[in-house]
Amino acid sequence: MIDYTKKLREEKMKLFKENKVVNWHEHVWDDDDGKFDAQQSDLLVESARRAYMDVLVCSLPVSGGSPDPDVIRRKNNIIAEAVDRHPNIIKGMAFVNPGYSREAVAEIERCVNELGMIGIKLYNQYFISDPVLHPVIEKCIELDIPILEHAGKQMSLPIDQPFISDGTHFAKVAEKYPEAVIIMAHIGGGGDWQWSLKAIADCPNIYTDISGSVYDEGIIEQTVSYLGAERVLFGTDGSFSQGIGKILAANISEKDKIEILNNTRFSRYLERGAY
Amino acid sequence: MLIDINTYIGHWPFRQLRNNTAAGLLPKMDEYGIDMAAVSSLNAVFYKDTQEGNRELIEEIQVNKAQDRFIPFAVINPKYSAWEKDLIYCVENMGMKGLELYPYYHRYALTEPESVELVKLAGKMNIPVHLPCSIVNVRQRHWMDTNDNLKYDQVEKLLALCPDTDFIISNGPSHMIARQLKKVSKERKGRVYYDFARLDVFVLRAPTSAFNALVQDAGIDHIVFGSVLPFQYADPQFVRLTYAGLSEEDMDKVTSGNLKKLFQL
Repeated sequence: MIDYTKKLREEKMKLFKENKVVNWHEHVWDDDDGKFDAQQSDLLVESARRAYMDVLVCSLPVSGGSPDPDVIRRKNNIIAEAVDRHPNIIKGMAFVNPGYSREAVAEIERCVNELGMIGIKLYNQYFISDPVLHPVIEKCIELDIPILEHAGKQMSLPIDQPFISDGTHFAKVAEKYPEAVIIMAHIGGGGDWQWSLKAIADCPNIYTDISGSVYDEGIIEQTVSYLGAERVLFGTDGSFSQGIGKILAANISEKDKIEILNNTRFSRYLERGAY
Repeated sequence: MLIDINTYIGHWPFRQLRNNTAAGLLPKMDEYGIDMAAVSSLNAVFYKDTQEGNRELIEEIQVNKAQDRFIPFAVINPKYSAWEKDLIYCVENMGMKGLELYPYYHRYALTEPESVELVKLAGKMNIPVHLPCSIVNVRQRHWMDTNDNLKYDQVEKLLALCPDTDFIISNGPSHMIARQLKKVSKERKGRVYYDFARLDVFVLRAPTSAFNALVQDAGIDHIVFGSVLPFQYADPQFVRLTYAGLSEEDMDKVTSGNLKKLFQL
């Protein structure tokens, strides 16, 4: 009987070892005092290096309530500290709250132009199709930066994220802003992934990342089938074993796997920023 | 050798599955080097009379001449009539090696008298009780599927009420469950095993990984391999084995040694 652990270690992990791996969905964190948790970022980077990841695109979103601009600036400054500490591997994404429209646009400019961030992260404060987001999306189009939006079709009850965006919300915004580059986050962490894939299948400017702890058999094959590998990004969002394993397991071509690990449509963003 | 504690055969009503027959599962086991797999009937979970599903499972294993590859577990609902007779028949006449419970599908509490009696009977018959924390992640459940997972407080009480029975807890946050059950587990004769199908071996945030936390609280002698085939990709389990940093001796325990002891193989 085959020793699959040995096969994975010696043969299958060559996919990661021999190709550029860009992880588009990770996080660094603040500590209990609201300061940059440098040790956590060191652990993250060490684990990423063990798994042959070359780039970690990190953000620090506020997942509850409607954070004010001061809180958000502190969070984004932590991202900048993480990039400074690990300039060869961490790239930053700026978190903003679209509810503070004027301040959000100003924060995007600050983070991109002064702190070298390469995109923005939105959480569940508003559906992505909500008109309150229009100034934010238009600023991202102007700066040519991607938007990573927390996403999911929540099926477990009670619904604890009433404004989380699912695929249908992304399809609406794609129609309004076909020139925006938007990532529907964590197809493996957002509830009914089949629902959302079907909803965005015909929206060429909506991408997804494969992050999340869910690794249902067939999830990667269906994602590539609906979107094409060129609209899929590698990501982990706190689940390295799952993210690596689902790409290794997927019954898709080697070419598609390499494209997902380093999506060439997003290469230009990586050339910017702090390293 | 690799022994898998958690696989299924049968129809899943809420999403199309591939390789959910014995004939489909066996080549997947070969692909991953899984010598033997504990298996239960998905049909038994959904039939009113679980015994019909248990019979189908045994027939399917026999038709495929795969008795040496599968370790069949009986799905029994202690709130349905004749559960005691059914379990005895499964073990004595159909060669089943364990009991598997789904309180979140069959809508009962593990602490109800019938549940306790059933689990005690399993202990007397010297077969382990498998408690999957869920079959699929409820975050993506079908709207007609259960919204519940295994209730760990009930498991804690059940362990105390049935001190001689061996348990396997799978497909959940094993490190957190093991921490909760640590005290009661030490006070009983029966053993408690955990798989690591939902844990990460990489250290990303906490000072240690979820997998290492499980090792600390459950002990390496109580950790087993579970793939959840055909619901999930198996590769993530092997990523975990690759990066867990286990010694050769500990790797042998996790991949087969602990279950060999449990099943007296």
